[in-house]
Amino acid sequence: MSDHIIERVKTGIPGLDELIEGGFPKGDTILVAGKAGTGKSILATQFIYKGATEYDEPGVFVTLEEPPHLIKRNMIRFGMDLEKLEKEKKISIVDLSPSKEVTPVTIGEYPSFDLSGLEAIILNHVKKLKAKRVVLDTLSIMAYKFKSRDILREEFFKLTANITRAGCTLLLTSEIPAHHQGLGVFDIEAFLASGVIVLYNEKISDTSRSRSIEVLKLRGSKHSSRIHSMRITEEGIRVWPGEISPGV
Amino acid sequence: MADKKKRKGSKKEDDPEKIEVVFFKSDSCAFCPRAEEVIRETIEDFGSDVFTLKIVNVSENPEAAEEFGIFALPTVMIGGVSVTGIPEPDLLMKMVLGAKVLTKKKDGSK
Repeated sequence: MSDHIIERVKTGIPGLDELIEGGFPKGDTILVAGKAGTGKSILATQFIYKGATEYDEPGVFVTLEEPPHLIKRNMIRFGMDLEKLEKEKKISIVDLSPSKEVTPVTIGEYPSFDLSGLEAIILNHVKKLKAKRVVLDTLSIMAYKFKSRDILREEFFKLTANITRAGCTLLLTSEIPAHHQGLGVFDIEAFLASGVIVLYNEKISDTSRSRSIEVLKLRGSKHSSRIHSMRITEEGIRVWPGEISPGV
Repeated sequence: MADKKKRKGSKKEDDPEKIEVVFFKSDSCAFCPRAEEVIRETIEDFGSDVFTLKIVNVSENPEAAEEFGIFALPTVMIGGVSVTGIPEPDLLMKMVLGAKVLTKKKDGSK
């Protein structure tokens, strides 16, 4: 039977591991999808932070959207001192945000490119840190950066495969546009990942909203099929596995 | 960061008239060899005294790609603007000419 036991990577997010048999399957790609303001980046950062501080698993956080100084400022509120972990070489924050001053302005794009540059950048940090966890926050920004969606879709498969082949568990975030039915702008997000987690922040009355989390799929795991209550506390995201959300 | 040093070095060599064309490629990029050919053919028409061509192999120097936020390859960068994919010669020409105008303006304002 031991051959069938899947090694797990604990997220360290209170309550979440209980919903997913103890953690994400090691070496898998997990998608965290949700509309704006649902807590995707907090969850992703907690995954990296807990890995480095509690499980001795260095992590690489690739930011395609928010500049690192803002991520550090926002996360310190939840007790996550990313600057310190960076100095201790337990994590790397890779700045590929649009705010970089030296990034040239793209004036043309021909449908004959690949993402081998992004792959080389990420794998360089993985190698240097001997990283076990990688976060890409957020995949959706690529839709605004590049026009050639077909190429991107194909390249995402290559990219995720090559990162997980390097021994890392990969977490991708995807922003679901308002009034959108799918899991992101590319409509292939669910296929990219062997696990999908959806975050909600739904209006339940004129004056209040309710946060919740759903494990939509997780291959190789018996996961909860219900939508559970979630809150953003002073220590980041906390899930209540025994509490079913009233909001969705 | 060998490329970085080269960049700094080229400024010291001091040829403000020369336009720097930076070409980012990788070992695994299937479109890169053709893109490099197009770039070489196009800028050669201007004569080698007009430009310097810097080739950055991201497989060997991922830091350079990270520094400039270049993650799709091939990408060619000329004077603060870039093109991704195999470029059309016309667009490259326009980029070179645009960079030339900028260089002249800078010289004039000194």
